Amino acid sequence: MGDFLDPDLISDLPQSIIETILIQLPIRDAVRTSILSRKWRYKWSTITQLVFDEKCYPTCNDRELVHKSVVEFITRLLFLHQGPIHKFHIVNASLASCPAINQWILFLSRNDIKDFNLELGEGDFFRMPSCFFGCEKLTRLELSRCELYPPASFKGFSCLKSLNLHQVLISPEAIESLISSCPLLESLSLSYFDCLALTVCAPNLKYLCLEGEFTEICLVDTPLLVELSVAMYMTDDVAEHMEQSSTCNFVKFLGGVPNLERLVGLIDFTKYLSIGNDLGHLAITYNYLETIEMYQVSFEDMKEILVVLRLITSSPNLKELHISGSSNISAGTYAAGMEFWEKECPSDSILSQLKLVKLTEMSGVPHEIEFIKFLLGCSPVLETMSIIPSMYDMECQLKMLVELMKFRRASSKAEVYFIRGD
Amino acid sequence: MSEIDMSVIKPEMMKPYIWLQTSDGSIQQVEQEIAMFCPFICQEIIQKGAGSSKNCAICLPEKVTPAMLSLVLDYCRFHQVPGRSNKERKSHDERFIRMDTKRLCDLTSAADSLQLRPLVDLTSRTLARIIEGKSPEEIREIFHLPDDLTEEEKLEPLKNTTDDPRIRLLNRLYAKKRKELKERGRLKNAELEGEHVDERSVDELLSFINGNDEDSKGSKTSKSKKKNRRKKEQKKSSLLTEASKPKKELSGHSSVSDKIAGTSNNHTEDDTFSHKEFDDDDDGDVDDEIDPALQEKIDREVEDFARRLNSDWPERMQEFLSSGQERKSTLFASNGNGLLRRNI
Repeated sequence: MGDFLDPDLISDLPQSIIETILIQLPIRDAVRTSILSRKWRYKWSTITQLVFDEKCYPTCNDRELVHKSVVEFITRLLFLHQGPIHKFHIVNASLASCPAINQWILFLSRNDIKDFNLELGEGDFFRMPSCFFGCEKLTRLELSRCELYPPASFKGFSCLKSLNLHQVLISPEAIESLISSCPLLESLSLSYFDCLALTVCAPNLKYLCLEGEFTEICLVDTPLLVELSVAMYMTDDVAEHMEQSSTCNFVKFLGGVPNLERLVGLIDFTKYLSIGNDLGHLAITYNYLETIEMYQVSFEDMKEILVVLRLITSSPNLKELHISGSSNISAGTYAAGMEFWEKECPSDSILSQLKLVKLTEMSGVPHEIEFIKFLLGCSPVLETMSIIPSMYDMECQLKMLVELMKFRRASSKAEVYFIRGD
Repeated sequence: MSEIDMSVIKPEMMKPYIWLQTSDGSIQQVEQEIAMFCPFICQEIIQKGAGSSKNCAICLPEKVTPAMLSLVLDYCRFHQVPGRSNKERKSHDERFIRMDTKRLCDLTSAADSLQLRPLVDLTSRTLARIIEGKSPEEIREIFHLPDDLTEEEKLEPLKNTTDDPRIRLLNRLYAKKRKELKERGRLKNAELEGEHVDERSVDELLSFINGNDEDSKGSKTSKSKKKNRRKKEQKKSSLLTEASKPKKELSGHSSVSDKIAGTSNNHTEDDTFSHKEFDDDDDGDVDDEIDPALQEKIDREVEDFARRLNSDWPERMQEFLSSGQERKSTLFASNGNGLLRRNI
């Protein structure tokens, strides 16, 4: 059957290239190449990356039907597959928790799985089977809506570099021991956790992202941390309880991260940091910290403002600053503690690298105004400052603008944008 | 001081041009900076000092025709400049990759043989985009693939191809070995049970004879012997599980050679295991002498077989194919349509 006039262009390429091509196809198309010709019949069966996303089965309204078809497709595919499977992702909202998944995980645990992602649709959480903890070569793990109960004999994933748990049911002891038993862990992301008191002990950790309701977070032994993002919900009673304690959260949390380059704090994070003993003068300098983003900072709480100021003044190389306020605008225009500013921000302090400042949700309370004054006056290389007010009332906006106009600018290049969201 | 020495020792005096010989024998001069972007050429220059003159031009792999070489060099010329932004590189690539399918496939081949990974990724991505979403007929049309599956084959469900003859033969051998180990294990346990009973009665006798002073000593020795036995039984069961592991590992794997090497290593470990075990043993079973020897023999057999398979597989294949239906039917038992042959 060989056509000498039109020679086969592609079937004789080395298998490694064929695999590179097949990996970049949606899984259904990759499997369908088996029907192209004799040579192609089993070329797909050795690919090491299997990704089952929304495209792997045409969606229709009957979720159960789609679920059944997808389960059958994956089971048959695994049965026909040969060789190691390094990457296995299931991200499909039509798929629900079912017993077949246990068999797939057992199969994967015997086939050198390295990168595993399981994200099922709405419904019961899937409980990870015990064979999952035998996947010794796992380097990347992402789970969503699962239950994780490591057996007592579990010694950790010795090769794990990236862990991402979203809405996963796991006991606090188990999660702490999981983190500390993965010595190579570089990236950790935990989200949608409830009432967790977490101590993170991970000597190689570089990227940390936490989101959820934490009662306490402690970073112990994370000297290499480069990026930190915390979205922390604190219920009122937790906050009260913490006020009682005497240790300073700021030091507890940010005391051991000298290599930090980027810090993002959301929701109650600034409040959390502000709890505890008075900061005094911070002993740590964040020499590499270039970006600070703090959202929902209440400019009516002196302690929160102090946290932000301490962060800024301890970061000599700070280049980018994003602050979002959350003050209650109905508070009076006169605020107590204005002497605070003279004390904490001597006029000779310099933010020598600060180039970009973005302030959002500014409600015009006096402390916010003083903060802007401080920034403008101490940033000799400032290029852009954007201010986005949170109120729509023209009068209030105008009042704020009038105040801002008075301020001395240390940088002749500074451009201040007052952005009104019409 | 030869020219080659100069280019290696004094980088600032490096020749700006090197000589490359393409598949058709023609030789051309290319700026060294640009050519060095290809790992293959880089290696040739550094390790072998080739390319510095027309006489010792670097021989490029067969897939690199002059046309392909010029495309590859165009790619290198753009990307080896350090200052470009990601956006620039991306838009250059989008323009660069616009060519007919045949050239694309040839370019993939050429880039792969020159080990230029970024270009291979780019071309594979483009080929994947071409294949995606098309019907089989369209794909066959584009790549000139022969439509050589029969109608039945097209409808037939794909078979699980662990009927690779290599794997099946190996499985048979391992099954044989496992059986023997199991039998020996059973025999051993039976003997141990017997001895256990005997020892007990001897100890009792001893303690009876020697009175209460010896009691503690006697019971200690019996305890340690019990421990030893337990250890042995544990080791035995781990031996069995190790032996049974290869089957699981082998079934459904195409990278047989790696697995074969791995499992023969497993079995040399078994050897040392069994030797240790027998050293600890104070009972001095007569069987001990036979076991390691037999095991070694089977190990050697397996390793031999693996080596033979890996070295002369094509020849063996010929043997199998030409040796007639009878042999075929025993090896390819469940495969009526000889699908296996096509797998290779």
